[in-house]
Amino acid sequence: MPRSESARRGANLRRAFLFVSFALAAATAAAQSKGDPAKGEAKAKACAACHGEAGRAPLPMTPWLNGQLEEVTVLQLVLIREGLREVPQMAGMLDKLTDPDFFDIGAYYARQAPPKASGPGDAKRRERGAALAKSMGCNSCHMGDYSGQKQVPRIANQREDYLAATLKAYRDNKRTGPDTSMNGAMYKVPDADIEALAHFLAHHNQ
Amino acid sequence: MKPTISRLVQRVVLPVVAIGAGMTAAYALAQQMVGPKTTPPSAKEVEQRKSKGGYYPERMKNPNLSGHAYKMTVTPPNEIPLDRIKLPKGFKVEIWAHGMPGVRMMARGTKGTVWAGTRAIGRVYEIKDKGGVREHRILAQKLNQPNGVAFQGGNLYVAAINRVFRYDGIEDNPSVKPVEMTAAFKLPPDVHHNWKFMAFGPDSKLYIQVGSPCNICEPSPEHGQIRRYVADGSNMEVVARGVRNSVGFDFHPKTGELWFTDNGRDWQAENSPEDELNRVSKMGQFFGFPYCHANGIPDMDIKKKDPCKGVTLPVALMGPHAAALGMRFYSGSMFPKEYQDTVFVARRGSWNRSQLFGYDVANVRATPQGKNAKVIPFMTGFKDDKENKFWGRPADVMQMPDGSLLVADEQNGAIYRVTYQK
Repeated sequence: MPRSESARRGANLRRAFLFVSFALAAATAAAQSKGDPAKGEAKAKACAACHGEAGRAPLPMTPWLNGQLEEVTVLQLVLIREGLREVPQMAGMLDKLTDPDFFDIGAYYARQAPPKASGPGDAKRRERGAALAKSMGCNSCHMGDYSGQKQVPRIANQREDYLAATLKAYRDNKRTGPDTSMNGAMYKVPDADIEALAHFLAHHNQ
Repeated sequence: MKPTISRLVQRVVLPVVAIGAGMTAAYALAQQMVGPKTTPPSAKEVEQRKSKGGYYPERMKNPNLSGHAYKMTVTPPNEIPLDRIKLPKGFKVEIWAHGMPGVRMMARGTKGTVWAGTRAIGRVYEIKDKGGVREHRILAQKLNQPNGVAFQGGNLYVAAINRVFRYDGIEDNPSVKPVEMTAAFKLPPDVHHNWKFMAFGPDSKLYIQVGSPCNICEPSPEHGQIRRYVADGSNMEVVARGVRNSVGFDFHPKTGELWFTDNGRDWQAENSPEDELNRVSKMGQFFGFPYCHANGIPDMDIKKKDPCKGVTLPVALMGPHAAALGMRFYSGSMFPKEYQDTVFVARRGSWNRSQLFGYDVANVRATPQGKNAKVIPFMTGFKDDKENKFWGRPADVMQMPDGSLLVADEQNGAIYRVTYQK
């Protein structure tokens, strides 16, 4: 790469980084103003049966919602209400809820402490998962500490079983987000790699 | 990227569906049987997977240019900063309809009903003018990106990724059940760049694009084209080839020729290649994808000798990463004479570029043969260049019988109406 191009790309990256920082700051501010966590707590009572008190789900394959970004929770609730993401356990539960209800619920979970890793995990699998995450550029959207941004979820220390199943669902085109980025990212990734990724992400803060 | 045969069938087998002890046990077993490898992938292994398309290396070139979030929730009209919109002297803008998250491509019935497709939220909206106030309902939902809408002979046509529906006589019978036409149209199941744009031509045929399902690749013979069908889905003909991702076309009011917008590839450069406005003067003409972009720029990845040989170059360049989407020729009597037979193009705005570009409606003036084209920003103010932020994303335009222009803003779920008075 010629030096001038490299320098320009560097400048672009810095500019882009600044932009993202601003965008994040703005998004945070907007997120704070959108939902009311106190109202959200009351509205999330029905969620607790599966997702647990304060979003710490006790059930296998059920995502932890504590510390999830407000925009993420809102988006997934919209997708489930609209029938674009099918979760039979939630069928019909969201039909009467409005967008402002979702903002309140999202605001509530966003204010809970994010999950911590349940243990150190297996060092070799973590290492392989870390290398895969790097080579696949997961941090491009999920951020370097996998804490997410905007509609891109926090995946650090999410349940391992849920992470693996979700990544496989994206790979197998059984689920999409608002776009097909994750389907592209997971295209043809073998099970073993997905499981290593899930293990690494589920044991992130060790 | 996402081969979809039927989203419904796929959803039935969603892993999330199978929550519970049985699934957990099966999953644990599968994990045991496959057994995760314990060594990180070698550089060679990563390269091999990249070459097979197994990873998404492009996003790593600039991690911060990975697209903007979709707004899938209702925007109340008082949160739409209409006063920021700028138009030439004499033009005015109002909010014509609102509260429709993700609103995109528009069609109008002969009795005045307007329909609008969406992508991520899976809905088709129906809007009726009730004595100066617009009311809308959700006509269809749970569809896979029902972006395409078109109207002819009393019937509404809706196209999702690979499904086509017809609502017969819908303006007289609002509760009519749609006829599924999917089998007749035989559209490929790929999702990426295959949200449909649809319009009827002066020949009464239904024109549909089948995009290239990638950023850059050699598309299969059934991709990368604009087709036309008899309205029942028979007699398919390829009208234009070498098309990357066209999400807008219309027919010249004088010549009847098809003109279409096409989105240029990403990840080649900040300022190149630009999006295109093309004119089809011969059936089956070739427009360059994937070898030759914009006004003759060879592709950086897919190389061949004389990449631009035999390629029909565009009428106009629509700007880098601009996302030039919905377009219509203006043939109304409300706007000043200089707008007659010119093209309005909604530029939804860039994501693959550090400095935002587009986020406006442009006006393109050219001869009927596509010569001497000039691109003039017409409706602007949706972005702030200094802050490098945007608040609105025009996705489609449509002329009304009185000559006013509707503009669909996907970001705010609103349709604006632009009028002119001397």
